[in-house]
Amino acid sequence: MGSRIEILNEAGFRSDGRRQFELRDLSIDLSKRGEADGSAQLSHGLTQVLVSVHGPREAKMRSHTFHDRANINVEVVVASFSTGERRKRLRGDKRVLEFAATIKLTFEPVIRTNLYPRSQIDIYVQVLQQDGSTLQACINATTLALINAGIPMSDFVCAVTGGVHSTSAMLDLTTLEENDIPHVTVAVMPKSKKVVLVTMETRLHVERFQELLNLARDAGAILHQEMREAVLERSAGLIAMAEPGTKQSKGDEDVVMD
Amino acid sequence: MASSISKAESAYIQVGLASTPPHRLDGRALNDFRTISLETGVAPLANGSARLSIGRNPHDNSGGTEILAATKLEVETIEDGGADGGRVVCTVTCSPAAYPHLSSNALEDLQHDLTIVVHQTLSHPSLHPDNLKIIPGKKSWLLSLDLVILSDAGNIYDALFMAARAALWDTKVPKTRFIEYKAKKTGSTSKEKDGMDVDETPATTSGFDTRQLTNATDFELLDYWDEGDVLDGRELWPVCITLNLLPPAAHFLDATQVEEAAALLKILAIFAFPAVQSSRLQGMHMLGPGEVTSTQMKTLIKEAEIHARELSSALNSKVKDEDVRRNQKAADSFSRR
Repeated sequence: MGSRIEILNEAGFRSDGRRQFELRDLSIDLSKRGEADGSAQLSHGLTQVLVSVHGPREAKMRSHTFHDRANINVEVVVASFSTGERRKRLRGDKRVLEFAATIKLTFEPVIRTNLYPRSQIDIYVQVLQQDGSTLQACINATTLALINAGIPMSDFVCAVTGGVHSTSAMLDLTTLEENDIPHVTVAVMPKSKKVVLVTMETRLHVERFQELLNLARDAGAILHQEMREAVLERSAGLIAMAEPGTKQSKGDEDVVMD
Repeated sequence: MASSISKAESAYIQVGLASTPPHRLDGRALNDFRTISLETGVAPLANGSARLSIGRNPHDNSGGTEILAATKLEVETIEDGGADGGRVVCTVTCSPAAYPHLSSNALEDLQHDLTIVVHQTLSHPSLHPDNLKIIPGKKSWLLSLDLVILSDAGNIYDALFMAARAALWDTKVPKTRFIEYKAKKTGSTSKEKDGMDVDETPATTSGFDTRQLTNATDFELLDYWDEGDVLDGRELWPVCITLNLLPPAAHFLDATQVEEAAALLKILAIFAFPAVQSSRLQGMHMLGPGEVTSTQMKTLIKEAEIHARELSSALNSKVKDEDVRRNQKAADSFSRR
């Protein structure tokens, strides 16, 4: 009943119509939400996450602070309606805690924590919709939220998921693809091309792994461009709001001559 | 839930509200709501969803109370704890970003309190929709309503009930059909029936047997061009009005966080409007320290009903607009292409 879905067909198209190395639609929203110091809502295709950053601020519990650097606290909440099947995830769920720990490990070397001793930076991740590559979306959104909050970092962190279907590599996987093929999530710092995170839970051949790492670096550079553009646009908007009405008369010039 | 403010600030707000004419920090009247914006269909994987925000700044989309609501329908068998006729379960989750000053235990307590209020009101049998049955006596739909609080800038209960109502309005129940298997003398075949028609001519039943039994053993999902039927009774879902009380018999609506900290005593009145002129009080809660006399209570409930009626009609016209925007306009542009 029905045809088997091909991960990659002979013409080089994937199940959702993309090419092998094509990334999904990326949309970034950096508007302020609630009382957060910085927030970002990012979606890769149908995977949508919202990250809010509070800090650096005084820690809720003094015992968790370090005398020489800031403490990073990551909390992840996955909405019950985010996947096709409703699954209620409790706060103490081990999988979710592991997810949060992975994000924390990714950002610990990147954020300049030594500038804020005895304080805490809280990163709250809310996963709204999941269609594959959730970790990738969370890391990218966290980078943007941290930048939006003005927390100094060494570089952007751009993450992408790569997988291999027989011998062809693919980037930015959907749920369908993630369930079927071995995949790895790689996070890179685009300027220095250094890798911050590599995580994999399936089995992948060593030769393919090298290929995927190289592809991930290139994809990271592309994502970096997009993210940079979004940040610059947001900054330009903020600066324009701050400047009192100097450039608002341009609209008069658009007069249609009959 | 309320932010802590100093006595001076609290007194300033109370004096402002009690004076004639009453002053509020953002210049609203006592019964004015902040701007409410609503969008339905935000979670395509859910059967119905809505995103509601109260008091969001229109220029830069910042601030305000923001709630995301989504309903999901799952099939449940009666033996596994389902109820014949379906069940409605509501859960409220607070994002830690919404309450950054609360510890995780306090957050869980708050979540639990909000869940109890919403679940007990909305899962009440008087509001139960009719079309949650699949196979009577065997399978039914479990409607799970999940509300996520993304940010809280005051008036959380009104926002929760409004978002719940919008998501329930948007919910579509997939169409199903019974399948009944009958063994014939020539072999086994499957015979499909719609609804509860009884087969007239089985050779073995006696003429005295007047029971109308279905032998439906399974069901199938119909392949239809739309997502399904709308949830029954969607006009009935209630709205909540929070009356924040100022001790000498005054009250105001839609408090911001500082106003909530200054006027701690609140009454939640949850009204449903089954027909144009009639109204039903579905639930009432009194929160915070203080006391209210019974005459005061009567007048307050009457006034709450008037506000609830206005809110309900505004919400109805908005969700109908959203329906038009998403369905009819999409259908029109599709037919024009």
